[in-house]
Amino acid sequence: MDAALAAEALGGTLPPLLVAAERVAATVAQGVHGRRRTGRGDSFWQYRPFAEGDAAQRVDWRQSARSDRLFVRETEWEAAQTVYLWVADGAGMRWHSAGAPPKRDRAVLLTMALASLLLRAGEHVRLLGSAPHPASGRPALPAIATLLGQQAGPERGPHGQGRPPEQALPPRLPMARHAHVVLMGDFLEPLSDIREAMAYFAAIPVTGHILQVIDPAEAELPFRGRIRFEGPGRTPKGVAGGGILVPRVEDIRAAYHERLADQIAGIAAIAAASGWRASLHRTDHPPGAALLSLYEALANR
Amino acid sequence: MIFAQPWLLVAFAALPVIWWLVRASPPAPRTQLFPALRLLADLRATVESPERTPPWLLILRLVAASCLILGLADPILDPGHGLPGTGPLLIVLDDGWAAAADWPDRTAAAAAAIAAAGRAERPVALLTTAPSADGRAPAIEGPMPPAAAEARLAALTPLPWPPDHAAAARALGSWHEPGTAVLFIDNGLRDPAGDTAFRAALRGAGTLTDARAAGTAALLQTPVSVNGHLILRLAAAPQRIARSYDVLAQGSDGRTLNRVTITLPAKAGAAQAPLGLPTVLANGVTRLQLAGSPTAGGTVLLDDQWRRRIVGLASAAGDAADAPLTGPLYYLNRALGPDMEIRHRPLDQLLAQPLSVLILSDRPLAPGPERDAVARFVQRGGLLIRFGGPLTAETPDPLLPVHLLQQDRSLGGALSWNKPEHLALFPATSPFAGLAVPKDVTVSRQLLADPASLAAASVWATLTDGTPLVSAAPLGQGRIVLFHVTADADWSSLPLSGLFPEMLDRLVRLASGIADVGGDARLAPAEIMNGYGDLGAPNAAAQPIRVDDLPLAAPSPKTPPGLYGPAGGRRAFNLGAVLPPPEAAPTIPGAARQDLAGTRAERPLGPWLVAAALLLLAVDLLASLALRGALKGSGPRLARAGRAMVLLGLGLSMARAAHAAAPVQAPMQAPVQAAVQAAVPPCALATCLAYVLTGDSTVDRLSHDGLASLSDFVTSRSAAILAPPVGVSPGRDDLSLYPLLYWPIIPGDGLPSATAIAALNRFMENGGIILIDTEGGDSGGQGSGAGM
Repeated sequence: MDAALAAEALGGTLPPLLVAAERVAATVAQGVHGRRRTGRGDSFWQYRPFAEGDAAQRVDWRQSARSDRLFVRETEWEAAQTVYLWVADGAGMRWHSAGAPPKRDRAVLLTMALASLLLRAGEHVRLLGSAPHPASGRPALPAIATLLGQQAGPERGPHGQGRPPEQALPPRLPMARHAHVVLMGDFLEPLSDIREAMAYFAAIPVTGHILQVIDPAEAELPFRGRIRFEGPGRTPKGVAGGGILVPRVEDIRAAYHERLADQIAGIAAIAAASGWRASLHRTDHPPGAALLSLYEALANR
Repeated sequence: MIFAQPWLLVAFAALPVIWWLVRASPPAPRTQLFPALRLLADLRATVESPERTPPWLLILRLVAASCLILGLADPILDPGHGLPGTGPLLIVLDDGWAAAADWPDRTAAAAAAIAAAGRAERPVALLTTAPSADGRAPAIEGPMPPAAAEARLAALTPLPWPPDHAAAARALGSWHEPGTAVLFIDNGLRDPAGDTAFRAALRGAGTLTDARAAGTAALLQTPVSVNGHLILRLAAAPQRIARSYDVLAQGSDGRTLNRVTITLPAKAGAAQAPLGLPTVLANGVTRLQLAGSPTAGGTVLLDDQWRRRIVGLASAAGDAADAPLTGPLYYLNRALGPDMEIRHRPLDQLLAQPLSVLILSDRPLAPGPERDAVARFVQRGGLLIRFGGPLTAETPDPLLPVHLLQQDRSLGGALSWNKPEHLALFPATSPFAGLAVPKDVTVSRQLLADPASLAAASVWATLTDGTPLVSAAPLGQGRIVLFHVTADADWSSLPLSGLFPEMLDRLVRLASGIADVGGDARLAPAEIMNGYGDLGAPNAAAQPIRVDDLPLAAPSPKTPPGLYGPAGGRRAFNLGAVLPPPEAAPTIPGAARQDLAGTRAERPLGPWLVAAALLLLAVDLLASLALRGALKGSGPRLARAGRAMVLLGLGLSMARAAHAAAPVQAPMQAPVQAAVQAAVPPCALATCLAYVLTGDSTVDRLSHDGLASLSDFVTSRSAAILAPPVGVSPGRDDLSLYPLLYWPIIPGDGLPSATAIAALNRFMENGGIILIDTEGGDSGGQGSGAGM
């Protein structure tokens, strides 16, 4: 009963999410000009004259019969690969500062838009660590949206049952080799933990993209005066239970910026070490730009 | 500025401690959720930042603490001058009539001196120079503690008679306290009797300070009557600048009938101005009073002797009655003179208006309404004077003092041997007593009275042979007087003589009913003025006064100014009639001068400082809350804080009122007024049209726009000014404010609720118009108001 109600509530929110995702995707799709090259695929690309070394079975006899020369039918390159998508969850991801959407909402939006783009291009899209679902074609998108919503879970209160599951780093699950993985999250965990998680993916091996979604308040630390900082979810290791009392936030802002830059640079280094890419997205920036760069990065691989 | 509790200033020594305490305890931090907590975790040790209160908050708190300490130390701004000497303080206070105008200044000066004595812990003695209301001569009260003197001072009021400086000098003579500081609060006027001794006694009593007012006391003297018009007179001590005074002429019901401005030129001691009222209104004036600060000296009560009589004339001769030299009314007009207001009209018109005296010249009264009206006039106190003549002799009527014989008597005619008779001396009981009888007045013809009827009447004038010339008889409250001759020169030469106007004048004054009080009669006090010129019941010391003494009596507790005599014949006794014109008193040599008008009341600053401290602490509270983030962005919290501030403001104003050093400041009540105004619907103040809210925003906007255009049209094309229209829900809003209700019915609307129908019915019963618009729908259908 509860689940049904939750699903119903979710169903109410899904179409707007889908619409928003489609809208973001559409802006990017019109700007895509890549992938116009030969490769493995089903759709026709071009005929070219037969050259030495081409296999005989590649000759398109119907076309060749119209003239004296032999033609080889080339198909368009088709990324018939699976793209795994993953969105971090947790109280930290649900948090947002004034005027910005929650990081998780932005990440889900980007995920959906990316999925929409990929599905249009014929890719297989799977959610990492979720129930099986249709992976290709238009029906996949609503299924992905539903799963992302379920993953979010109903929010019943800050301390109740509906407390979101803390999943700051991607799970170690078996996946197809040479697949693409897109990981979205705030990645504020210690760099060693991130490196350890990434080492699993590098060993499979898969390549992919890390999109670090952070809030503008996290990027800039705009607070002033005497503030006690508390974690939104569980208190991270090394921090006393009552949070951190900062006498004057202005005094530590520079040091914080430095440390945040170190974190971002560290993530980029980890990604580069295993052939991945990493980018940063702030929730107060428009999602289209992030999606475009993400899609370009995937398409030009 | 001085401090009433200077030892409290020691608390300033604690300020550094407060500084240290406040500085060491920073405000509670506000809490902020932050996911990137880990990045902040060990920044804590690396950054050097002292946990301290912001400097402005520190200063705010220190200022608040200073205000509190200063306020509790009770500083006083503009304290009175220090008292000379070391002994008691003797306050000599002139509390005669001249002190009433600036009495608050005087008591303020005395109170300031008493407060200064209280601070120096010196006893206070009080001497008021006017005899007290119960007749006791001035005597020194005290020495007593300053608090008792303050209470005694508060009980003093100005008295309506002049001060008795001679008696005060005797009282001062018995004062032998070394080191006395004497404060003489002076009325600034010279007292002809005993002033020299008084001033000497003042100097002898101790170190003298003379607190003197600018000498504004003005004496309103009794008016004079010139040609029947009242001239107001005013006297004051001459000054170097011109002053102007307003005199209010008030009726018996307290209404002000006129306001006359009298300008007193520079260096002049007296001025006058006409009252400037028509007679009917002038007769209603019972009291003249200086506007502004009323005093007994600035008040003149007017009794009946100031009233002009209105004389009505009527005769049977018609238009010829006032023909020069031949008409009877011609002589009466001349004889009555300009002091009277004379009306010459038909009898019924005369009696329809207020009248003192009615003179009928050979005018028989027809039986019936006319005679009854005249009889009523006399019975209500009117004076009827009738002159004889042929018609009166033929048709005698009952409204005559004597019974007339049918035949008149002719003297010195061609067929008679006797000569015209002269007038006899007037009897002592007659109102004409004392008038000289000229030798040349003769009577050649007269009406004869039945000798039997003379017993009931009084004869006021006779001829030398003893036959009555003027007879009179009372009727009701009034009186009928009959001249047995005509009012013209046909029957006698009396109208031609100088005696005739005098006789008429005596008679007309008789109409007021005051002339026949003997000079020895004693008039009991009826209503007595207080120092401010207000009338009240006489006190025990007031005594009856002889009529002859009235113009000369000295005002005192025994004979205070006011109204004397029985209810019908009140006589006024005014200060302005008996007191000499005010003269400025010379300064006392050797006395320190103090200007009474210039003294500023002591202003205690303590309450204000405490209030400021509380206000600062309230600001500090808000600032601390803001620093803690408790006020951030949450509307209800802000509203709660706002309400708290309003309550705090109200509390402050109440605390201020309770402290009662000064009146509550009006701005404190402003929030309350604003709240009250917010509760008033806008249409209570301006007419506006209304429409019923349907809940459909399109229809509602249409209604609003339509009615707004209609309102604009009405406003531009007619005298009505309509405010913008208002949407209402019947049953919830008060419909009584709107003249017209536009009710669009949209299809599908159900019947209005029972309360709405009741409200609409009430609206219709009280004359409201409802314009029901079914928008082309079925007018008989449901929801079209058919249920009403």
